Amino acid sequence: MSQHEESHLDLAARCVEKAVGLGAEWCDVATGSGRDISVTIEKSGIQMADAGRGEDTAIRVYVRGGMGYAVVSGSDRRDIDEAVERAVALAKEATPDPDFRCLPQPQPQPQVDGLFDEAIAGMSVEQVVRIAVANIEAAKAMEPDVNLSGHVGLSVGSGALASSTGVAVESRGTDISADISALIRRDGDTGYFYEFDFGRHLADCRLEQVAEGAVDGARRFLGAKRITSRRMTLVLGPLASYGLLSQLVAAANAESIQRGRSYLGGKLGEMIASPHLTIVDNGLVPRGIRSGAHDGEGTRRRPLTVIDAGRLTGLLHNSYTAGKAGVESTGHGTHSGGIGATNLRPALGTRPAADILAEVKDGIYLESGEIRPDPASGDVSASIDFGSLIRDGRVVHPVENAMLGGSIFDMLARLDAVSSDARIEPGILLPTLRIQDVQIAGAE
Amino acid sequence: MEDLARRLCDLAKQRGAEFADVRVLRHRSESVLVQDGRADKLAAGTDRGVGVRVLVGRCWGFASADSLERRRGEQCVEDALALAKASAAFVSDPAMIAQVVPVVAEDRNDPEIPPGAMPVAEKIARLMEHERSGRGRGNGGGRIVNSIVSYAEAWRDGVLANTSGTLVRTAGGRAVATAMFVASDGKILQRGMEHRGIVGGAELLRQTEPEAFGIRAADKALAALKAKPAPAGRFTVIFHPSITGLLVHEALGHNAEADAVWAGQSILEGRLGEDLAAPGVSIYDDSTLPGRFGSFAYDSEGTPAARRTIIENGRLVGFLHSLETAAKFETAPTGSARAQSYDCRPIVRMSNTFMGNGNVPLAEMVRGVERGVYLEDGHWGYVFVQKGQFICHAGQAHMIEHGAIGEPLRDVSISSMTLPVLKSIDAVGDDFEMKMPGMCGKEGQSAATDCGGPHVRVTEVVVGGHQGT
Repeated sequence: MSQHEESHLDLAARCVEKAVGLGAEWCDVATGSGRDISVTIEKSGIQMADAGRGEDTAIRVYVRGGMGYAVVSGSDRRDIDEAVERAVALAKEATPDPDFRCLPQPQPQPQVDGLFDEAIAGMSVEQVVRIAVANIEAAKAMEPDVNLSGHVGLSVGSGALASSTGVAVESRGTDISADISALIRRDGDTGYFYEFDFGRHLADCRLEQVAEGAVDGARRFLGAKRITSRRMTLVLGPLASYGLLSQLVAAANAESIQRGRSYLGGKLGEMIASPHLTIVDNGLVPRGIRSGAHDGEGTRRRPLTVIDAGRLTGLLHNSYTAGKAGVESTGHGTHSGGIGATNLRPALGTRPAADILAEVKDGIYLESGEIRPDPASGDVSASIDFGSLIRDGRVVHPVENAMLGGSIFDMLARLDAVSSDARIEPGILLPTLRIQDVQIAGAE
Repeated sequence: MEDLARRLCDLAKQRGAEFADVRVLRHRSESVLVQDGRADKLAAGTDRGVGVRVLVGRCWGFASADSLERRRGEQCVEDALALAKASAAFVSDPAMIAQVVPVVAEDRNDPEIPPGAMPVAEKIARLMEHERSGRGRGNGGGRIVNSIVSYAEAWRDGVLANTSGTLVRTAGGRAVATAMFVASDGKILQRGMEHRGIVGGAELLRQTEPEAFGIRAADKALAALKAKPAPAGRFTVIFHPSITGLLVHEALGHNAEADAVWAGQSILEGRLGEDLAAPGVSIYDDSTLPGRFGSFAYDSEGTPAARRTIIENGRLVGFLHSLETAAKFETAPTGSARAQSYDCRPIVRMSNTFMGNGNVPLAEMVRGVERGVYLEDGHWGYVFVQKGQFICHAGQAHMIEHGAIGEPLRDVSISSMTLPVLKSIDAVGDDFEMKMPGMCGKEGQSAATDCGGPHVRVTEVVVGGHQGT
C-alpha cells in the first residue's frame, strides 16, 4: 500500500460515516482484496493456469430494522459512494422490523494463530504448476493409463470491518488446496474417485500426494455391482460423516428455527441423536480453515457445543437472531445477514474405525457423499455415490446405483458408534460413524 | 469498453499470443426478499472488469481484474502470457482454436421494463401480494408457518473481442422469482416451491399470477403434509416434464458437452452415431428460443446461438462445442461456450435442453403401469459423467397402482445410469413443457439454463424412499 492509498479499514470507516450521514441508523462495512492462482489439470496434463485480482466493498445498513445491502467490486471511489447511497436508500424502502435490536458492539478479539502464511503468499505460478506436475507424475507411476483432472490453487486476501457501533477490525488470510479426480477405464469397467487436501499453511499440507489417494480410490471403485433393496447397517467414512454432520449443524441455524422452517425447531434441549454424538463448532482453532477472531459482523468467535451426547444444546446465532431471542450472539454471523458454521469437531469414540466396521454383518461403507436432509421435514433421500458393500465385517465390492432413505431423526437415533480415530483437516475432525437399520434401495 | 477490448487483443498479439480473446463486462443486480409479511432484505450489486485469455505455444493462460482501467487490463495480458508460458512445458494435450469467420455483431436485448425502472416499492408490493395469497391457504389442520418470496434482476453489458477479428457487443438482463412456503400440521413440516425465470426484467413480476405462483407453492406444502414417504426400490416411473428436463440436462446434456468428451470423462466418448436411446427419443439444446431463461444470441466466444441436436430418434448425432473443442473434433463450433463473468474463462455449457414430443398421452402411459411411481415438480439434479450416474430430486410424487395415479408421496430422489435409462424409455408423451429456469453449476461457474420435455415412462429407476416394498 502506498502512502496515498486508503487502507481497508479507513475505507470501511469512511463508508460507515457517509452512510450514517445519509440516514443509516446502523451500518457496517466490510472491505477486502485478494488474489488467486489456479492451475487446471486435464487428461493427466496441465490444461491452463489462471489468476485473478479483486477488491470488494459490502455495505449493510439498517433503518428502523429494515436492511439494505450493496456490494461493489473494484476501488473506484465513485462506485463505492454510489453503493453506500444505494444501501441507505434500500434500507429506507425495507419494511421496519421490530425484531432487529442492534449491531455488535466492539469486543476484545481473541488471538487466533496461523491464518496467514508467508510461504503461500510468496508462491509463484511456477511453484503451483510444480505441485500439479508432481501429482500427475505420481499418478502415472501408479497407473499409466489413469485420466487425471482437477485443480491446484491458492488465494491470498486481507480485509477489514468497521461499524457505526465502533467495531474496527482487520484480518488477513491464506489458503492453498489441491483437488484431484482419477478415472480408470478397464475392460468396460469404470473406477472413479477424488481426493483433496487444503490448508492455511503450506507446511500443513501434503499437496503432492493428493493424486495417489485419488488413484487408490479409483482402483477401489472398479468392479461395482448392483445390490438388492433391504435394511442395512450404514458406515460413514470420514468424508461421508462430514457430509452428514455439516448438514446437521447447518440446520441448527437460529434464524431457520425462529422462522419455523427447520426440522430442529422446538428441539433445543431435547435428545435428537444417540448419546454417542457430540459436536462442537470451534472457529478459534489455530490454522483452522474456517477459523477467525471474529465473524462477519465483528462478534468474537467462541466454541459452541451444538450437540452434547445426543442433546441439541446450542444454536448458531448472528446479531439479529440473538437480539430477537434475547441471548448473546455465538459469533456465526455473515456480513450479508446469514449464519454459517465454522470448524466442526465431533467428539471421538473409544474404538477405531476398523473395529467398528469389522462388526458389520450386512452393510454399506459410504466413503463420500452428502446426506442432505430436507431442511424442513428432515427426510433423507440420497444417492450412494461412493459406497461399497460390507459383508461379515469386510468391504467386498463397490455398489452401483443404490440409494438410502429415511428420517434424519431415525438415523441419528440409530447411530451406535463414533470412531476413536479420525481424518484431520485444518481445524476439522472427521471420524467414522455407524448407523444401524437404514433403508437401502438397490437396482438389483 | 470496445476500445479496451481491441487494444488488449492487439497487445496480446504483439506480445506473442497466437490467439487471444478479451471479455469486458459491466454487471448490475438488485434483489428483494419478502419474508413473513416483511420486505426485510433488499440488496444491490455492481461489478465490472476485464478477463484476458491467451493461447501461447500449446497452453492457455487467463487473467482477470475488477477494473476497466487500461493499466489493469494490460497487466492482465502480461499475467495471462506468463501463466501460459509457465505451464506450457507440461501440457499433454495441446490447446487449439477453431478458425472461423470473424463475427462482428451487436445484440441488445432490452427488457420491457428497463433495470431500475420499476420502483422498489412496486416490487415489494407485488411480492407481498404473492406472499399474502399463499399465506391465506390452509387445509384440515395444516397452516403456513414460514414464507419467503423473492425477486432478483441482473443486467449486464459487455464486449467480446478476439485476435481473429471477432467483436461482439451484448447487453441484456435476466429476472427470477422464487416462492417457498413451509406448512405445518403441528407434527411435521413440509415445503412447497415455485420458480420463474426469463430473459428480461421486472415484467416478470407483472406477468406472474398469484394462482400460479404463491398459491401454488403454498398448496404444494400443504398437500405434502398429507403425503406418505415414498417407497424404496426399483420401479417403473413416469416423469413429469420437469423431471424429464432434469433427465435430459443431467443424464445426457452434461455428457454431451464436448470438453468432457474430449477429456475422456464422458461416457459418450467414441459413441457418436450409435443408437443410445430408445426409438422416438430426440434431445436438443437450443439457445435461440425467444425469452427462455437459457437463451442468448452469441456465446462468450462470439459464436452465434444455434439449435443443436444431440439425440435424433435414439441416435447420438452431436455434441455441444466451443471454439477449442470444435477444433479438436474437427467440426464446427455450436455456440456453446459460456463464461459466467469477466473473471471466468469460457467453458462448454448447455442452454435450453429438452426432449422432443412423442405421441403417447399421459393417461395411456399410466394405464400401462401395474405398480410404479409418478414423479413431478423437478427440483434439482446432479451427474457423474465419468460413471454415467445421475440423480434427480422430485418435489412431489404419487404412487401408480393398477393403471391409475394413486396416493400422494413426499419429495424423493431417484437415481439411475444414463445409458440404460435412455434405452428403457418405453413411452414419450405428447405434452411438451419447458418451465425449469435455473442456474447450472460446472467447474465453479453458473449458467442460466432451462430444460423440459413431455411426460416419459422409464421401466427401471431406483427410488430412494423410506421403506422397502
